[in-house]
Amino acid sequence: MTSSPATSPETVAAQMAVALARLLRNGETVFFGVASPLPMVAALLARRLQAPDLEILTLPGGISPAPGELPVSTVDPRLLDGAAAMVTLADIFDLSARGRLDTAFLGGVQIDRTGRINMSAIGDPRRPKVRLPGGAGSAVLMPTARRTIIWRTRHDTRTFVDALPFVTATGNVDRVVTPLAVLRRIDGLLTVQSVHPHSSLAEVRASTGFPLDVAGAGEDVPITPPPSSAELAALRALDPTGVVAAELLSR
Amino acid sequence: MCAAARTEDLMADKRRTLAEVVATIPDGSRLALGGNTLHRAPAAAVHELVRQGKRGLELVKTAGAYDVDLLCGVGAASIVSAGFVGYETVFGLAPMYRRAVEAGAVEAREHACYTIIAGLRAASQGVPFMPLNGLQGSDLIGLRGFASVRDPYSEQDVVVVPAIVPDVALIHVQEADAEGDARIWGSTFEDALMARAAKRVILTAERIVDRAALAAEPERTSIPGFLVDAVVEAPRGAWPTSCAGLYQYDEPFLADLMAVATDSERLARFVDERILQAVPVTA
Repeated sequence: MTSSPATSPETVAAQMAVALARLLRNGETVFFGVASPLPMVAALLARRLQAPDLEILTLPGGISPAPGELPVSTVDPRLLDGAAAMVTLADIFDLSARGRLDTAFLGGVQIDRTGRINMSAIGDPRRPKVRLPGGAGSAVLMPTARRTIIWRTRHDTRTFVDALPFVTATGNVDRVVTPLAVLRRIDGLLTVQSVHPHSSLAEVRASTGFPLDVAGAGEDVPITPPPSSAELAALRALDPTGVVAAELLSR
Repeated sequence: MCAAARTEDLMADKRRTLAEVVATIPDGSRLALGGNTLHRAPAAAVHELVRQGKRGLELVKTAGAYDVDLLCGVGAASIVSAGFVGYETVFGLAPMYRRAVEAGAVEAREHACYTIIAGLRAASQGVPFMPLNGLQGSDLIGLRGFASVRDPYSEQDVVVVPAIVPDVALIHVQEADAEGDARIWGSTFEDALMARAAKRVILTAERIVDRAALAAEPERTSIPGFLVDAVVEAPRGAWPTSCAGLYQYDEPFLADLMAVATDSERLARFVDERILQAVPVTA
């Protein structure tokens, strides 16, 4: 991460969580899979804010749970707590495959200018230099969910690359939320929608391995609104132990 | 009363020791592993595979962590067919899996989780392949060699995934009776499907319960005993992964494992002292 040293991981995590939460619409279905604490917090936060009827689909199958204590693992049995219904992971992929999943949150170890992701390998995928964890559900969800929101807790030129060694998944990418900015895919290319208050367009561009335009006309880039007091209060009530920052702190 | 007692006698008692049942698994077997990442992995059976020095195993799972990683670390696995292998945000990448794949000792057959499910579904339904909607634009199609076929009705092409028929499904459950009827608390993940796709099913159970306890609520039995070949009583049999309703994953133990995972000598000592000697041979 290349944000200024004065910005704590907790501050960056809160900014990312609210930026992700604001993208969710009341009444839609949203899914997050393995290793997804930030999307988990964002989805649960959105239900406490603008999207009380958001239907949250979790990997262990709990629908719209209300866990008392947030787990770091997003496959945890606690994601069944407070759920009135449960499904299987296969049910969720089926839902997406038949075109009925509104939004999927997906990660990406490497991301190119069109929003394609690599989660598989650095180097030759048959004999990799670095074997990555694998794309889990992304190769199915990205092209079939109506909308994909990518989040990544690193924003640097090793992450946002000009060419991917392997395309694990591609599809309906709408936004990419990073520690520095919110990117939006317009006409097939990622562009800067807003820059977080602690960063700058120059930093975002220097941290990205491909040219980035600013959404809309000119170079006047909007600032991502910082978390409001209501958002921060809801976040603290939801996540008093700070699971939201787990990904940033594990780096 | 007398007739009932005789019926009980005739029912197959599938209770076995872990050692004898794992001894029936040949080297080179294709094993489906129940659970998901840090949760309800069939760890007791995995530990017995390690103890018996199995080799050449193919592991099948949508998303694995400790089970897949350890079997790669001790040289028991040759192929991993999975959508994801890692300890999530808790510990990140699976170091033993990663090292074995990068050294060429293990082949990572990366799937999307849904292609594992599709392959198991094909197996469970007795068909050679399963069409699915997904993978558009993904290099996984070429890497896995997934074919497309022409839908004879719509004339559209559709990706098809070959059946994945596990030789054995290893599944850890909270409760089972002596005939193998099994109740999973909380998420079943892909376990019920694995039990229908595999040639043989071996269960480990936190506790063996009376058939009557399951018969009170048969709708909670997700794996019927007639699909099951053997059941082993294995308290804490998912440790160090979690078991819903009973225990969390053992984060300090896993942290200790991560510290030695890529040092062959220290790993061997850790496996011996902290796993094989720490866990009873048969629960």
